[in-house]
Amino acid sequence: MQFDLDEDRALLKSSTRELLENESPVAEARAIMETSPEGYDRALYAQLGELGYPGLLLSEDAGGMGALAFAAVMHEMGRVAFPGPFLDLAVAVAAISACEGDEARKWQERAAAGELVVLARSESRASLDPCPPATRFEDGHVRGTKTFVPSGAHAEALLVETTGGLVLVPRPESGWDAQPLVTLDHAQRFAEIRLDHPGVLLAEGAAAVALLARSQVHGALGAAACLLGLMERALELAVDYTREREAFGAPLASFQALQHRAADMLARTESSRSAVYRAGWALEHDEPDADYLVSVAKAYAGPAARAVCGECIQFHGGVGYTWEYDPHLYLKRTKTLEQQHGTTAWHEQRALDGRPA
Amino acid sequence: MDLRFTDAQVAFRDEVRAWLASNLTRPFREEVRDPAHDADSLVEVRRQWQRKLQAAGYLAMGWPEEWGGRGVGEVENAILEAELARADAPQVPNFLGISLLGPALIHHGSEEQRRRFIPKMLSCEEIWCQGFSEPGSGSDLASLRTRAEPDGDHYRITGQKVWTTFGPWANWIFVLARTDMEDRYGGISFFLVPIEQDGVEVRPIKQISGESEFGEVFFDGALARREHIVGELGEGWRVAMTLLGYERGAAALRYPAEYDTFLDGMVQALRESGDAERPEVRARLGQLVVENEVLRANGLRTLANLAAGNAPGPESSIEKIGWSEYAQRLTDTALDLLGPQAQLVATDPHARPELDWAYQYMWARAGTIYSGSSEIQRNIIAKRVLRMPTKR
Repeated sequence: MQFDLDEDRALLKSSTRELLENESPVAEARAIMETSPEGYDRALYAQLGELGYPGLLLSEDAGGMGALAFAAVMHEMGRVAFPGPFLDLAVAVAAISACEGDEARKWQERAAAGELVVLARSESRASLDPCPPATRFEDGHVRGTKTFVPSGAHAEALLVETTGGLVLVPRPESGWDAQPLVTLDHAQRFAEIRLDHPGVLLAEGAAAVALLARSQVHGALGAAACLLGLMERALELAVDYTREREAFGAPLASFQALQHRAADMLARTESSRSAVYRAGWALEHDEPDADYLVSVAKAYAGPAARAVCGECIQFHGGVGYTWEYDPHLYLKRTKTLEQQHGTTAWHEQRALDGRPA
Repeated sequence: MDLRFTDAQVAFRDEVRAWLASNLTRPFREEVRDPAHDADSLVEVRRQWQRKLQAAGYLAMGWPEEWGGRGVGEVENAILEAELARADAPQVPNFLGISLLGPALIHHGSEEQRRRFIPKMLSCEEIWCQGFSEPGSGSDLASLRTRAEPDGDHYRITGQKVWTTFGPWANWIFVLARTDMEDRYGGISFFLVPIEQDGVEVRPIKQISGESEFGEVFFDGALARREHIVGELGEGWRVAMTLLGYERGAAALRYPAEYDTFLDGMVQALRESGDAERPEVRARLGQLVVENEVLRANGLRTLANLAAGNAPGPESSIEKIGWSEYAQRLTDTALDLLGPQAQLVATDPHARPELDWAYQYMWARAGTIYSGSSEIQRNIIAKRVLRMPTKR
């Protein structure tokens, strides 16, 4: 048995950290999210494409590195609260790669190079959990409205879940009929998109169901790993701050009231690490309980990250409630991810039903 | 990264499972319900079970062959523990001797001590208890005040120990006592003391569960032989601290396996009452399943690190907080969802058959106190892992 990552994956993880700390430090990411229309750095996404990041979930034969490497990268992206739809892009690349046909190959290539393709599944602003779609696909035409599409307004193509299967809709020349949904997380731009366009059927029937189920598992693993990175960094910020800040003649970190809460934050973070990497390993090796373990990881990491990132603000006191300090970025992304790729409640039910005998 | 057991480990698990299926005649919860039993006869059941395990080679498996073990690694030990919990096998009466004192004798004891004590410990001819905590020294163990004074070939021990598990049935006790009143750590020595002598009195303590598995032990000039000091004089603290690190992996999979049987029992009872599919019930069950699986993930990580020869990290404190606090949430939820019937004590004819819920509910309160309370574990994490400073 061995818990540590092998050399290749450990190297990928450390070089990703270096890349993100150089190219997307939190200060720079904040500037982009505050000023750019997309909320993320397009040039950096192109660079990630050149380096092969969006195709990470693919097998090694197909140019990727598999689920465990993907989890390690999402973990690092969480640490810097990386802006934009990277997770959704990586999930979309894996989804297209499972489809047949020239159109699928063409778009797989473009998405793997960093062009934005994302899944469009949800139709309710009340829940993003999987639900049978009302959007129709008839005579080569998609009609319906999708909501909370990640960076939808800027997508080059959407993978739309319809009554007829999974359909690829390229961006129309006139652009999308998209309404921006401004949420509390300024580094995640969602859109509600009205679709009345021709599309290409990528998968239908049982194949489409299986493909979307697989995408849901990929998304949940990535979200759980990102949540791990968010809480890991939030814990560091919280403890570092209490070491520097003094009150009543002593550093805050010396007060037991904070020490015990910091210990709980560490327990949640380390437990998430155990669960996330176990799930990533199981998925990569097609273990029979992989889907169950991914649900366990996502269901645990969401509330854990919310608790840790919430405490991070509290540990900072008044400055924790300011835009200038970073803790809010972590709490906001956590909330976004808790609702995406299966809520805690959805994954808890999956875990209950999928519990190995 | 690799979290799979080897083929040999899987084969070992199957072998243990098959052995338990044909050798464990009754799960322990059924023994407890049997009105023919009293506290003494239940100890006898456990003593017989220890002998059965020994005969089959499943006792003290991690010890060297010379001392009755098989020299197996942490993973095999953890697998055995998980299977024993899964089958609800009785706990052996000498668990303190086997998990703590035996390894201490093997590492720090004299050849003489090993030959004198280990065989009878394994055969359960002698039952051991632990004399560490005192009325004034619980979590702050090094403040202990029981003292030992030289008297010819002996030491005379005076003082009081408390929370002595299995004290009422033990023949021997391993005791930390002061041989120097000034030196906080270096003044502590580790003694092996026979209980059946004039200077020792054991009084049972009635616990919240109504049973008296614990006791308090009074020493009034009790005699311990000089050659029954483990390690050198004044090395007691070091010996005690290292013995707390033995078999770190043994519990890694045991608690999740035990809690699986709790969850199975809850689901079974809720199916019978027709409540298992109610959404509010499913929500609470789902959360418990997730949390138990995370405990197992932590355990596998600990085992993997031990198997890879890595030094143990902060995992043990995190695991201790994890399994002990989870047990409270689990049993709280069970008593909520199953209703008042779950409060019935095991010997009540109407008590639920799948588990002794009332007992488990109470016992879960002990887990966050013994072996380093939750507060001590959080201190350890804050100071040793997060390096948060001590207040001046």
